[in-house]
Amino acid sequence: MNMDGYARIESLAKRLGNAAAGRLDVDATARKVVERLREQPVRRALWIQQTWLQIAAALVIVVGGAVVASRLTQKGHPAVSAHAAHFVADDLGDLSAEELRGVLAGFDEMVGSNSIAVPEGSTDLRELDAHQLRAVLRSLEG
Amino acid sequence: MVQPQVVPVAPDAALILAWQAGDEQAAAELVGRHARPLARFLAGAGAPEADVDDLVQETFIRAFRSVDRFRGQCQFRTWLLTIGGNVLKDFGRRAARRKVLPLDDGVRDATGDPHEHAEASEAEALLAAGLQQLPRLQREVFLLRAQQGLEYEEIAAALATTPGAARVHYHHAVRRLKEVVK
Repeated sequence: MNMDGYARIESLAKRLGNAAAGRLDVDATARKVVERLREQPVRRALWIQQTWLQIAAALVIVVGGAVVASRLTQKGHPAVSAHAAHFVADDLGDLSAEELRGVLAGFDEMVGSNSIAVPEGSTDLRELDAHQLRAVLRSLEG
Repeated sequence: MVQPQVVPVAPDAALILAWQAGDEQAAAELVGRHARPLARFLAGAGAPEADVDDLVQETFIRAFRSVDRFRGQCQFRTWLLTIGGNVLKDFGRRAARRKVLPLDDGVRDATGDPHEHAEASEAEALLAAGLQQLPRLQREVFLLRAQQGLEYEEIAAALATTPGAARVHYHHAVRRLKEVVK
């Protein structure tokens, strides 16, 4: 492209918007802007408040999620334990105080008795193989 | 002979600091300095003439509300013009949702003084229409350079690009506009 073409386009561009700018009442615009800015502190405070609330909510979600995730990854069978805890909580919630006392008494009795067939030499359930675990569970069923 | 008293003109940075300290007059002074160039930029970028006043106000409001983020990477006016570009983009979105006239139709406002319309050359109208066909970055680089007379370094700082890229955008814009206007 020759330079004349550039010069013509640039010359036209310099005139673009002149009419609109010429019609602008600068003093009135300045007054209106200042009037609107007087409302700014209130709006700004609200905006900041909302923003902080959003940030706090996001933090709660992130931190809560991280805590849950870390607990789940630390435990051997996270899905099972969470599932079990859920049902135990639900079931216990349905029991009356009298019934709860009965459950605890039964549990004490079961633990105190020799009815649970724990294999010889075992001190930790995690050391048991699948066959031994089945035997323990069967003895718990009575 | 009495020498005329020279009143020192406060630089924009001083006025910005004064505004941040609560001086409303400083804000009004900044509006007075930059409102017309901003109006030219907005009109050139496709703002309907009837809305230029509102868009100028909105641009200043946004600028003053976020002036803490202005780090002096470019002149205040250049920064203001880029905010004006964002305001105009949002205006265009709202207008599209309301299904009112598109921006390029608004450029040739049917209301107003017929004499002034007669003065507007056909080439100018073609250029205005051609600008609407350009990508936004090309359009803004072109206006900042050709209309506002800014250097590529200044444009690059305002639009977060490099002077070389700004130069390329400008030349692409001029090439396309020349085809439209010829």
